[in-house]
Amino acid sequence: MIFIPRKRLASDSALKVAEAGKNVGFILSCLGSVAGLLLSFSIFLSGQSLHLELPQTTPLGAMAFTVDQLSAFFLGTASFLGAAISLYSLGYTSEYFHKRHVGLFIFLYNTLFLTLVALLSAANFVFFLFAWEVMSFTIYFLIVFEHDDEASRRAGFLYVVMSHVGTAILTGMILVFFVQAGSFDFAALRSNAHQITPTLKSVIFLCSFIGFGVKAGIVPLHIWLPEAHPATPSNISALMSGVIIKTGIYGIVRVSFDLLGTGPMWWGILVLAVAVVSAVLGVLYALMEHDLKRLLAYHSIENIGIILMGVGAALVFNSTGNKTVAALALIAGLYHVLNHATFKGLLFLGAGSVVRATHTRNIEELGGLAKKLPYTSFFFLIGAVAISALPPLNGFISEWLTFQALLLGFTTADLTVKLAIPVTVALLALTGALAAACFVKAYGITFLGLPRSNAADKAKESPRSMLVAMGILALGCVVLGIFPGIALSALNPLSASLLGASMTNEVSLVGPTMILSASPSTSIAPALMLALLAGFAGLPIVAGILMGGKLRTRIAKTWVCGIETLRPRMQYTATGFSKPIRLIFSSIYRARHEIEISEDVSPYFKTEIRYEVTMEHIFEEKLYKPAMRGILSVARFGRRIQTGHIQSYLAYIFIVLIILLWATG
Amino acid sequence: MPIIDQQTLVRSVDILATGILVTAFLIISSKSLTFYVRLFAFQSILLGMLSLVIAVRYGETHILTAAVLTFVVKAFTIPLLLNKVIDRIRVRKEVDFSINITVSLIICGAIVILSNSVAQPILQVQRAGSLFTTKVLPISIAVMLIGLFVMISRKKAVTQIIGLLTMENGLFLSGLSITHGMPLIVEVGIFFDILVAALILGLFVFRINKSFETIDIAAMRSLRH
Repeated sequence: MIFIPRKRLASDSALKVAEAGKNVGFILSCLGSVAGLLLSFSIFLSGQSLHLELPQTTPLGAMAFTVDQLSAFFLGTASFLGAAISLYSLGYTSEYFHKRHVGLFIFLYNTLFLTLVALLSAANFVFFLFAWEVMSFTIYFLIVFEHDDEASRRAGFLYVVMSHVGTAILTGMILVFFVQAGSFDFAALRSNAHQITPTLKSVIFLCSFIGFGVKAGIVPLHIWLPEAHPATPSNISALMSGVIIKTGIYGIVRVSFDLLGTGPMWWGILVLAVAVVSAVLGVLYALMEHDLKRLLAYHSIENIGIILMGVGAALVFNSTGNKTVAALALIAGLYHVLNHATFKGLLFLGAGSVVRATHTRNIEELGGLAKKLPYTSFFFLIGAVAISALPPLNGFISEWLTFQALLLGFTTADLTVKLAIPVTVALLALTGALAAACFVKAYGITFLGLPRSNAADKAKESPRSMLVAMGILALGCVVLGIFPGIALSALNPLSASLLGASMTNEVSLVGPTMILSASPSTSIAPALMLALLAGFAGLPIVAGILMGGKLRTRIAKTWVCGIETLRPRMQYTATGFSKPIRLIFSSIYRARHEIEISEDVSPYFKTEIRYEVTMEHIFEEKLYKPAMRGILSVARFGRRIQTGHIQSYLAYIFIVLIILLWATG
Repeated sequence: MPIIDQQTLVRSVDILATGILVTAFLIISSKSLTFYVRLFAFQSILLGMLSLVIAVRYGETHILTAAVLTFVVKAFTIPLLLNKVIDRIRVRKEVDFSINITVSLIICGAIVILSNSVAQPILQVQRAGSLFTTKVLPISIAVMLIGLFVMISRKKAVTQIIGLLTMENGLFLSGLSITHGMPLIVEVGIFFDILVAALILGLFVFRINKSFETIDIAAMRSLRH
């Protein structure tokens, strides 16, 4: 078990002491994360789970931890990302001195890790829920850390509301579980789950899906995500997007696979449907977003959708009896958890680096950063390629596995499955393509071209600790992509323990870098792909040299249609780039355009053109606003009894008293 | 050999308890603030006498202590204090009503009937124990509810205090009737409590009067926003 020491700073009056304290705090949390990583490795290598019980007991159960393979996997993911982010924070938080309470930040940061570890390794629901709530509050405080910003406070409030609704539903689920199976303990619930009636099982499943879904950010419960991610400091956004929202996935997998066992098929179909909607809407909204961190937040929603496609497919195939395909689907989903943590963590850290250098998140004001921030730009590019599911990086592998699982499952006789799968596959493909388009925009507008603002022009590269952290994650993206066998061979026994089936009947691993499928045409070897890609890129150069060409660099002016100088304003904008997609999906976006043209003497001499496009977010307009209005009108009705007269309050007491006396007398 | 026999006890207790109920009704029907205070003092004297009778009959010293405390605190100190408050704030001495006297009296009549029916199940359990409670318990419940009703239907802050104190008298009476008085420590605690409550509330009346230039608590409505 890892214990992460917390370091608090009294004040930042003595900057040196504070600096040292900050370093101690983050280095210790980095070491704690490495310890966590080692722990999860050791559990995967030994194949045995670790059990620990603290001597303190609460009235509702012991403070017990069990780290089984599922916990170890999520713990490992969290620790890997945590180690990198702790390193990153060393440099990132230095700009907070004299502005914010760094000690408080470190305290919250390490508390977040502590609760995360407790949550992932809790052995019963009481302790799990406790850790869950403490974690939620810690996140709230981190969201409002820059509390002088109105948007942060708003995001924090929205988060607290959504999170509490989720927790309320989860508490309901836990109580139903307790009443039916007589225990809060995971082990006892697992063995007693067969006593639960199918209807109540479905109730439990639905509650867990909604309750954990809030944290995971599935559509339509996602609304807090695009507000909270930009509001938090970037290292925390990386942690939130990489790990915290995955605790929702952990919960769903824990409850539906580990505790409940096999369920009816509609569970899986429901998860698939939500997953598809999340993935497509997430990426579509991301495309329209010009706030770098909001854009990444929408991509988190998209990727949660992709993860849930794997999980949903596993649920479907598990209930139809195709256990081996289910195992493959689950592995694909879980592998995407790890991959998404890696590349999204990397992207958020990159975004943090950009924001730190330019103090803006609006990509329309950036540009040309590839020259100013060369390392950040390179790492961001790796993250962008990975998230766009381009081979040979890690995003590609997990999406490829998801495709494999879905296509292999097509042999199922059930008609619903036969209909659902092609739709899912098609939309997953669409998602990948749109994500690629989105990151062409994000990378291109932010890092290429000319700086669009003074801030972007003056940007300076980040400190070394931040670059090293990003480098680690970028290396992670490459290694997980080229050697998928390492992680997959660890995930195979995990899915075997959850589903009782191994994926090796469907696909087999040859060495760390080759995945063989049932039919040779769908097998894959990422390392070979990399070699081929490099070869194809290198071949023309080699051929050119062989044919007598010379390698030299020519510097010449860009042809600018006769205009004298190129100005940044002439560049392609993000709005312009995403226009075609806005047109194609106009029925989803419901965009409203506004064009204002001010003219001089005649319509041929326009002095100023303003173009504004606003989008309607379907779920906010059609689901949350009516719900909010409903709640408000109920509250307004209830407010009528709040007259402010002392006598009326006394009268309420009096009337209740009389009624009670009369009823019991 | 007790000084008072059982029959005298029951009779005198009945008379005194009825007197307490009557004072409660008089409070409801009166219009003057000073008369309120006087009625409360009188009610407390009756209550003190009642507990004195019981103390003598059963030779219980702690009820005796409670009786003495009732005389000192409720019949003397608190009325004195309230009179001082009323003098100092120099407001109109009339009580403001939110429910007029006639309707109030009808409602209080209904309260008495309700209390009587409520007390019956308790009395059935208790009957074997003591004999004087058959009429006292319903009366005590009625006095409590009437005290609460005073708080609801009268607007002046001083009347709120009187209502509260009347409720306390009812509570004391019910304690006496069911259990031969609560343990002394509890009684002393309660006396101390209401003394402090009366002091604090008296102080509040001052402050309310100062801030709102009235002791009509309806004016405190403006605190809502």
